[in-house]
Amino acid sequence: MKTALRVPLVALIASCLMSAVAVAHHSFAMFDRSVEKVATGTVVRWQFNSPHSWLYINVKNPDGTETLWSFEGSAPPQLLQRGVTGSSFEPGSTVTVSYCPMKDGRPAGGLGWVRLANGKFLNPADGGCDGSDKAIEKWKGWMAAGYTSSTDALKAK
Amino acid sequence: MNLRWIAVAGFVMVSSPSVLFAQPGAFGGGYGPALKVVPPPQAFATSEDHYKYLLAQAKGGTKHTITSVPRWDGLWVTAGNTHMDIFIDPPGFKGKVRPGVLTPPYEKAYTERWRQQTELGEVQYDRLTHCEPVGYPRFLLEPYSHEFINLPQESYLINDFGPSIRRVYINQEHKNVYGTHSWFGDTIGFWDGQKLITNTKYLLPADFTRWSPMTSNQFESVETWELKKYPDGVERLEVQVTFYDRYAFVKPVNAVYAWRRGTDLEKAGHRVQHWECETSNNDVFDKGTTTSKLPGEQGFKDARGSTLFPDLPGQSRDPIYNTTLPGEKK
Repeated sequence: MKTALRVPLVALIASCLMSAVAVAHHSFAMFDRSVEKVATGTVVRWQFNSPHSWLYINVKNPDGTETLWSFEGSAPPQLLQRGVTGSSFEPGSTVTVSYCPMKDGRPAGGLGWVRLANGKFLNPADGGCDGSDKAIEKWKGWMAAGYTSSTDALKAK
Repeated sequence: MNLRWIAVAGFVMVSSPSVLFAQPGAFGGGYGPALKVVPPPQAFATSEDHYKYLLAQAKGGTKHTITSVPRWDGLWVTAGNTHMDIFIDPPGFKGKVRPGVLTPPYEKAYTERWRQQTELGEVQYDRLTHCEPVGYPRFLLEPYSHEFINLPQESYLINDFGPSIRRVYINQEHKNVYGTHSWFGDTIGFWDGQKLITNTKYLLPADFTRWSPMTSNQFESVETWELKKYPDGVERLEVQVTFYDRYAFVKPVNAVYAWRRGTDLEKAGHRVQHWECETSNNDVFDKGTTTSKLPGEQGFKDARGSTLFPDLPGQSRDPIYNTTLPGEKK
């Protein structure tokens, strides 16, 4: 392999390592990372702050009311390297997110991927949930089949 | 290794976060050749003895001017370390506490701390949860972005959390007119050619990181900073460190930490924005686990809410989007 290719590839792998390992300001014990869910809602705020970003969205409940959900993502220095900026999720826009729910049942979770209204996927995940390309591909199939929970999708297999 | 295997390795790493978390010491590791610890040439009883020996070896040190002092300015990100090798065998969450590195009380405390990390998924005390500063030596492990500014009389080692700024007073003696210890202590240094040698003391006791042992108020260090260049254009700022702590360590321990230039971050438009815990951290320790306060809950800190003077115009900390979360003062 050409040397010119080797260094960028090693750097890429290293940055992938960083994205999942090095960014944690606290542990992710509060999230149930064995379950992934998806939700669609309206962005209230994209808080692009260190040490963790937070995406706040209003999600409609079956009874017509709305609940404010909070999702924790990675820190800005890591997100900028993935093309996610402080204006990626504009207030008022509609997004679909994947998340690993809080173990205590409150309306929050570790953020996985985010799908914008134009269909584009972004990965603002920290270690709280999986926002990788692999997870996105997996969920494209599951969402097409109508699933909103990895538990249900895996059961159906 | 051919391109295919590197691509496969990259894919496996990206798609296996649980595997990655088994490498707590990684922190950007894998950039350039493997990091190697260079222990001091002989054993020293104290960090001061070690520092004085190096100063004598350097014949009093190099007196740099503003034009000759090594330039490390620009943005830097972590590029690995050997930190966990000191304490865990093998490094990673499947490893066990290395016996005989820590003194009995500190080993006992660390064994419990390691049990919490491996069994509960977190330690029961992480000082950032309590909004305590990063301080030193945790500074060496902070993963955000760094800047290193060298001047002939002083060097500034900066991390964007806090702000965390270490000041290295060149060719000076230690001073402690406050008569106490502090989060970053007091750091003096000298130049040996292109190497910056430092001695840090007067530190507060702390947790090194959440995966690491506690350290005492006698924790001190000697560091050797050097910008190193390797084949294939790899450039790393490396610091070889010897940690001294007569309460915590049976004998001094050594590690190496590294940074690479954050050119990707610079291209993405990143500029260091200092952030602090008080307005942005909602972590709390509750019912045996770390959790976060949510909007509308008592005690929630709104990082982009208004200041304590909401009735004055222009007091929102979110002036571009002017968003509002439940629980904010109107």
